[in-house]
Amino acid sequence: MLTIFTDSDTDFTPKVAAEYGFKLISMPYSIDGKTFYPYEGYDEFDFHAFYDSLRGGVLPTTSALGEDRYISYFEPEFAAGNDILYIHFSAAMTMTFQSMDNALKTLKAKYPERKFYSIDTKGITIVSYLIARELGDLLKKGMSAEEAVKWAETEVDNYSQYFFADDLKFFRRSGRVGGLAATMGGLIGLRPVIHMNKEGKMESLGTVKGRIQVMERLVKYVEECGDDVTAHRFIVGHTDAPELAAQLEGMLKEKFPGLQTETVCTNPTAGSHCGPNGVGIAFHSKGRLK
Amino acid sequence: MNEKTIKSGLYLRMLRGGESRLGANKDAINDLNVFPIPDGDTGDNMLMTLSGGIDATRSLTPEKTENQPSISLGETASKASKGMLLGARGNSGVILSRFFAGIAKGLEGLEEASTTLFADALAEGVKSAYGAVSTPVEGTMLTVLREGVEAAQAEIQKEAEAQAQTLLETLIEAMKVSLEHTPELLPVLKEAGVVDSGGAGVLCIAEGMLDALEGKDIPAKQTQNAPPKAPQVDLDGFGPDSVVTFGYCTEFLLRLQTSKVGDPDAFDPSPIKEFLESAGESVVCFKDGSIVKAHVHTPTPGQILNKVQQWGEFLTVKIENMNLQHSGVTIQNNFDTAAGGTAAEPEAKTEATKTETKPAEEVFAKKRKRYAVVAVACGEGLVQAFKDAGVDEVIEGGQTMNPSAADFVAAFERAAAETIFVFPNNSNIILAANQAASLYKGCEIVVLPSKDLGSGYVAAASIDRSCPDKQQIVDAAIETIGSVETCMVSKATRDAQMDGVVVHEGDYLGFERGRIICAEKTREDAALKVAETLGIGLHDVAIVFSGADTPEAEAQAFAAILQNKFPRTETMLTPGGQPVYDYIIILC
Repeated sequence: MLTIFTDSDTDFTPKVAAEYGFKLISMPYSIDGKTFYPYEGYDEFDFHAFYDSLRGGVLPTTSALGEDRYISYFEPEFAAGNDILYIHFSAAMTMTFQSMDNALKTLKAKYPERKFYSIDTKGITIVSYLIARELGDLLKKGMSAEEAVKWAETEVDNYSQYFFADDLKFFRRSGRVGGLAATMGGLIGLRPVIHMNKEGKMESLGTVKGRIQVMERLVKYVEECGDDVTAHRFIVGHTDAPELAAQLEGMLKEKFPGLQTETVCTNPTAGSHCGPNGVGIAFHSKGRLK
Repeated sequence: MNEKTIKSGLYLRMLRGGESRLGANKDAINDLNVFPIPDGDTGDNMLMTLSGGIDATRSLTPEKTENQPSISLGETASKASKGMLLGARGNSGVILSRFFAGIAKGLEGLEEASTTLFADALAEGVKSAYGAVSTPVEGTMLTVLREGVEAAQAEIQKEAEAQAQTLLETLIEAMKVSLEHTPELLPVLKEAGVVDSGGAGVLCIAEGMLDALEGKDIPAKQTQNAPPKAPQVDLDGFGPDSVVTFGYCTEFLLRLQTSKVGDPDAFDPSPIKEFLESAGESVVCFKDGSIVKAHVHTPTPGQILNKVQQWGEFLTVKIENMNLQHSGVTIQNNFDTAAGGTAAEPEAKTEATKTETKPAEEVFAKKRKRYAVVAVACGEGLVQAFKDAGVDEVIEGGQTMNPSAADFVAAFERAAAETIFVFPNNSNIILAANQAASLYKGCEIVVLPSKDLGSGYVAAASIDRSCPDKQQIVDAAIETIGSVETCMVSKATRDAQMDGVVVHEGDYLGFERGRIICAEKTREDAALKVAETLGIGLHDVAIVFSGADTPEAEAQAFAAILQNKFPRTETMLTPGGQPVYDYIIILC
C-alpha cells in the first residue's frame, strides 16, 4: 500500500486532503512564543481572524518541524507495511526537510524494506496546491509513486505562481524573497510582484503601483506565460482578501472565457510571511521564469 | 540722541528694539498672507529668528558691553548672527538671519563703527540676504532691504559721518516707499491686495531700532508677544499614584571649571557624553568653549547631575517628567524650550557640531546607521504616517509652525547616521533645512526639494535603504518628488479673488502649491474638484489625509466617492489630523 502525504503549506485543508485520501502534515507558526499547528484537532481554520490579527499588528514567526514530528507521522505507516509518497512545499525555502531526512535515516534503519518517495512542488501555497491536486487526480487514476515522481521531474516547472503582497514588512522580516527593495512602498500603493522560480524560491519581479494595475500585471503574466490555461485548473489565492480575489477572477475570465478557477485562502504558516490583503494566481504555463 | 558711533551696547539695544516692535506687530504681519487661509506665519518666523539672535547675546547686556570695552561691536554682532542663523525659521527668517550675518561680517573686528562703516555693513547684509536664495525675487523683503539700505548709503555719501538717527530715518522712509511698491513688482501681492509680509517685518525691525536709538523704553524681552515654544503641560497628568514610565528629560548647561578639569578649552567632553550614554537615552552632548550643553532622558536625573558636577558648575538645569509631555514631540519641544531659555545655546550647538565632529564620530561610530531620514510634518496621523514610511526623525512643524535650523540640527544629532536625507515638505522650510545642513558637520546631509507633504511622503516611503549608491537614492527621490501632485483644501478666512477664482469668506479652497483652483461650499466638493483638475484619474494611487477638523465618517464617505468615481485609482485614506488643511490628497 502507498500512503500519500502532503503538508499544510500546500494550502491543502483536511477536506481537500480527504478527497484524495492524502494525509496532512501540519506546518507550524508561532505567535508570542506559542506554537500553533494548523488543522491539528480541527478541520476548519478561521482565516479571517488570523489575518485580522496580523492587520492589528501581530507578527507571527514560523519554525521547522522537529525530527520527532516526522517520525510520528511516518513510522505508523512504515510499521503497517505501507510505503510513503510525500508531495511537499519547496525544500529550498526551509530547513524543515533536514529534520525529515534525519527522521528518515532513523526509520530506514528500522524499516529497511519500506520505500519513501518525495515530490518537491518547488513552491508554496497555491502552486503547490495546484500541483498536488493534479497529482492527486493522476494517482487516483492509478498512477504509481514512481510514475508520479517521474511526472514531477518534468511537469513541476510547468506550473507557475505569481502574486503580490500588500505590506512588505512581513516579507522583509522573513527575508524569504530575493530582490526586494527595502522601501515602505506598501504605504503608497506600491506592491511587489513575486514569483516562484525554478529553484523553488520566491523572487521579486519589481513593483507595481495601484491595486487594479497590479492585478492587471498578474493577468499579463498569464497571457505571456500561460499554456492552455482553460484546459487546466487555475488557482486564485488570497490572504483574506476575497473581494480582490473575486475581482481578479473576473478580470481573468474576461481575458480567458471558460477559465475554471478555484479560489483558496492562503494557509496561516505561509501567510505569516506575506501578510494580509495579498492575492496570487497559479496556473499551467510554458515554464517558470528563470 | 546724537550718536555718530555705534557701539556694542547700542547695537544690542537696537536689536531689542527691533524685536519689541516686531513682537507688537507680528500678528498683523502674519495676516499679510497672499492666500486667504489661516496659514500666515511670517511675523512669527521673523520674530523667533530675531529672538534666537538676541537670546544668544543674553549674557551681554547693553550696559555691560558699554562698560566693558573688551566686548566689541564685531563680537556682539557675530554672536547675535550665529543665534539667528540657528534660530532661523521659514524663508523670511532665513533671509533675515543672512541679512544680520552680512552685517556681522561687515562689522567683523570692529570695536565700534562709524555710521559710514555701519551703512557699509548694512550693504554687506543686503548682499548676504540676496545670496540666501538661489533666485532672488523682487517685490519681497529683499527689495525692501536693498532699497532702504541704498537710500541710507546715499545719505551717507551726502553727509559723511551722518548721525545714526538720520541714517535710520532715511532707511525707514525708503523702506516704507519700497514696501508700498511691492505689489507693483509682485503680481501675486497685488491680486491678494497685500504688501509683502517679510518687507513689513524688516520695516518693523528698522523702526524698533530707531526707537532704541531715540532712547524709547524697550522691554528686556517681549515675552507677551513671543509665540509659545512649548506645549502647555497638564500637571494633573501625573498624580500621587502615577508611575514614572518615560523618565525625565534632563538638560543642563555646565560651565567647566578650571579647578576641576584644568584648561576648559582643551577639555575633551567625551567622558561626559559616554557617562550620559551609559546612564540614559537620547543623549545630545557637546561643548562650546568652556560650556557643555547636554540633553538626556533618564529615570534618575539626580544621579546625572551629581556625577557631572565633578567637571563643572551648572549654569542652567531643566528637568521635565516625560509622562507629562506630549508624546512623539518630546525631544523636539525640549530643545525648543531650552533654546528659548538658555544663554548661548544655539551658538553652542553650531560650534559644537563644528568643533566636536571627530570625537562625536568616534564615540558614536558603531551606532551610526548608514542612512537616516528626517522630515517635517504636523498632525498626529501625518506624523505617524511619516514614521511608518520609515522616517527616523519627524520634526513637528509645517506651514504655520516652521521649524528652525536648530530644530533640524537637533534632529540630525538624534538620527545618528552617516548620511541623512531631509524632506522639508514646504517651500518655506527648505531654506532653514539648507541652513541647518550647512551648519551641521556631524555627517553628510542631503536636503531634498520636497515642497509639500505629499511629495515628501511618497519620496520618503520610496527610499530604498538597501541601495548602496547614495546618488541613486537621491536621483530616485528627486524624480519621485517631481512626479507627485498634492491637492489641498482649506477654509477661506476672507473674501478674495485669486487665480481667476472668486473666494468668499468661509468657502473651502481647493488648491495646489501656490495656485487656487476652486472655492466651494463644502470641503468634499473642493477636494473632489481640485483632485479632478490635477488628473486624479490618471494616477494609480490617491492617498487622502483628512484634517483635524474633518469628521472621520465624512472622510470615509468622501474616500468611497473617490474610489467609485475613479476605480483605476486606488484610494487610501488615513486620518492625518493636520491643522489648517481639511484634506491633503496625494496623487502618485
